[in-house]
Amino acid sequence: MSYPPDEQPLGRAFDARLHLLDRQILDVDGVPVCTVDDIELHGVDGAEVVDGSRPVVVTSLLSGAVLATRIFGGRPPPSRWRRIRWAHVADVGTAVRLGVRGEQLDVTWPERWVRDHIIFRIPGGSHDPG
Amino acid sequence: MILGDLLDSPVRDADGSALGYVVDVRLVLDGPVDGLLAAPRLHGVLVSPRTGTSFLGYERTGVDAPALLARWFAWRHRGTFLVHWEDVQAVTEDAVILRPGHRRYAAGLLRVGA
Repeated sequence: MSYPPDEQPLGRAFDARLHLLDRQILDVDGVPVCTVDDIELHGVDGAEVVDGSRPVVVTSLLSGAVLATRIFGGRPPPSRWRRIRWAHVADVGTAVRLGVRGEQLDVTWPERWVRDHIIFRIPGGSHDPG
Repeated sequence: MILGDLLDSPVRDADGSALGYVVDVRLVLDGPVDGLLAAPRLHGVLVSPRTGTSFLGYERTGVDAPALLARWFAWRHRGTFLVHWEDVQAVTEDAVILRPGHRRYAAGLLRVGA
């Protein structure tokens, strides 16, 4: 069975699972931040939309502890997701590039906590080895 | 709405007949400008009548090598189609319901974004 080709939209088109999910997210300095584990969608007015009556846009990239749910099924509760607002995204390619530094994002707080509370207390851990 | 709630969901017609599964969603960078880029607008959902999974998008990108794999995936995903978001009547916990008289389009992604 063949279907007619889609009317080509004006903007760049890509498929979420194919071109966005599981991609590495790099900050403005090229430092890896996390991967895209899921995507949050809202109506253009910010409202929750669950039908085609209103346009829906991507508002945030989500990252979180998804290893267990990918193995055993289910989904993490909404409170467990760390969000990176789409407003921070600068480019979508083989990796997703941000226009901000990773340190400014909530998603990197465990890394910062380990650095400040554990690594910092190790002798020699409070300064750059260079 | 989380994308994961949509992916792999069964798709049904307005009269309840099964049409397949959501294997992916198509986004277009033509939403309102949000920061450095336009926000990706949900353009439509890709429905495979046979399986809820997709492998490397063989059925959408026109990749034809290795030939054996390409033919296998093209066959496995035959009949995959795109439905515009406007033709989605409801997204429930159990299924994605399409409007009566919804239009189906070829799933091919002519301009690959990445």
